Amino acid sequence: MKTLRAYLSTLLIAALVITSLPVAAAPTEPQSIDLVSTQSVLSADHAGADRERINEILARADVQDQLLKQGVDLDEVDARVAALSDSEVKQMADQLEMMPAGAGGGVIGALFAVFIILLITDILGLTDVYPFTR
Amino acid sequence: MTTKFLNSMSLNDTFLNSMLSNARFAGVFIMLLLLSGCARNPVLLQSTYQALPPHAEITSVPFYAQTEFQCGPATLAMVLNHQDVETDVEQLIPQVFLPERDGSVQPEMLATVRRYDQLAYPIRGTLDALLGHLAAGDPVVVMQNLSLPIYPMWHYAVAIGYDLPSETLILRSGEIERHTMSFSRFDATWARTERWGFVVAEPGTLPAGITARNALEAISAYEESHGPRATLSSWQAFEAHHPANAIGQFALGNAFYADQQPDNARTAFERATELDRKMGAAWLNLGIILLQQDKPLKAHSALTQAAASEGEWQERAKQLLDRI
Repeated sequence: MKTLRAYLSTLLIAALVITSLPVAAAPTEPQSIDLVSTQSVLSADHAGADRERINEILARADVQDQLLKQGVDLDEVDARVAALSDSEVKQMADQLEMMPAGAGGGVIGALFAVFIILLITDILGLTDVYPFTR
Repeated sequence: MTTKFLNSMSLNDTFLNSMLSNARFAGVFIMLLLLSGCARNPVLLQSTYQALPPHAEITSVPFYAQTEFQCGPATLAMVLNHQDVETDVEQLIPQVFLPERDGSVQPEMLATVRRYDQLAYPIRGTLDALLGHLAAGDPVVVMQNLSLPIYPMWHYAVAIGYDLPSETLILRSGEIERHTMSFSRFDATWARTERWGFVVAEPGTLPAGITARNALEAISAYEESHGPRATLSSWQAFEAHHPANAIGQFALGNAFYADQQPDNARTAFERATELDRKMGAAWLNLGIILLQQDKPLKAHSALTQAAASEGEWQERAKQLLDRI
């Protein structure tokens, strides 16, 4: 995986450098100039647009991997990664493991002590685990 | 001597024992005090009481009971259907549910909304803001931890109404169509997710009460997947709410440009530079448009400003200046 990543990033760097060369060399027509995008201004980190793009492509590959591991269907993975914004991709790549996943399932198989504690906090109005406390 | 000593020993002993039990009692007492301290009613601003109607309930929000751990898809189906978007829980499950995690994560909740051509605006994390959205008729998807941090039970629900006199929040939650909950209990469970929640709105609308920063990020995220032309109406709505926001004007300029309205784009970039004289990106974009409109003198002064302010645009501004 590590070597694949290293390989992939070298490839990406090469690809980006090559694609940016003709733009630098050719006399540019005013009409063909791209404006600075809103997203690049909004993202806090302005350092190195190329490196940013590489990181982003790697992050997307990373998230794709993680989603597959989390049991998402192969057919759906692409669309799900594509739907994420750059900052969401970064968030997911960095901390998907720790991210809370809203489930709303019951506390089944909890330890008796946990059951008692949650029962008390439910009665105190701090939690909302057992519907029968109200 | 010995008896005296023993006596004092036993005296000490009972004293110690009573001390200990007192301490235990005091500990439990303090613990309860602390816990109930946390459960005190969240203080609503006086202005909230004055500004909002005492009772609000958006009864038109449909209800889908969650099955298994699928509160994420169920809440999305409720708010999307309320926006007249055609979808259902079955269709949403493969789009937002993570089977291995038995749940759905926050970024994907927002991203899935955008897949249905709607915008997801995270709200300001206060009970006042939440009630404000409900009073305005916007149901709010909220994330809660129904349990304690050491044994979390993450949950999504849709807040649909409230009652101020009884300090009660009304939710579509889990398997309960109309779940009423005291403000204090709700706020305790909501605070454990740093009071996370969002409203759904169609392009071209911006619900009142969303912070400028949250709106910028939500609209920008929509633009990433839908392109600047599809986002133009939302930037216009943003400008109507925040006319003095330089980044908003800048974004509007980009959207106008993508929609082939260079004159409007130029005006927007000009406003952006008036609002923030140091916004190099706006100066650069303004300069490029002026070049295209064959106004080299004006372009030169705009590009000079861009070249003078630090950022990634500096280099490009200098290159363009060399060519004039």
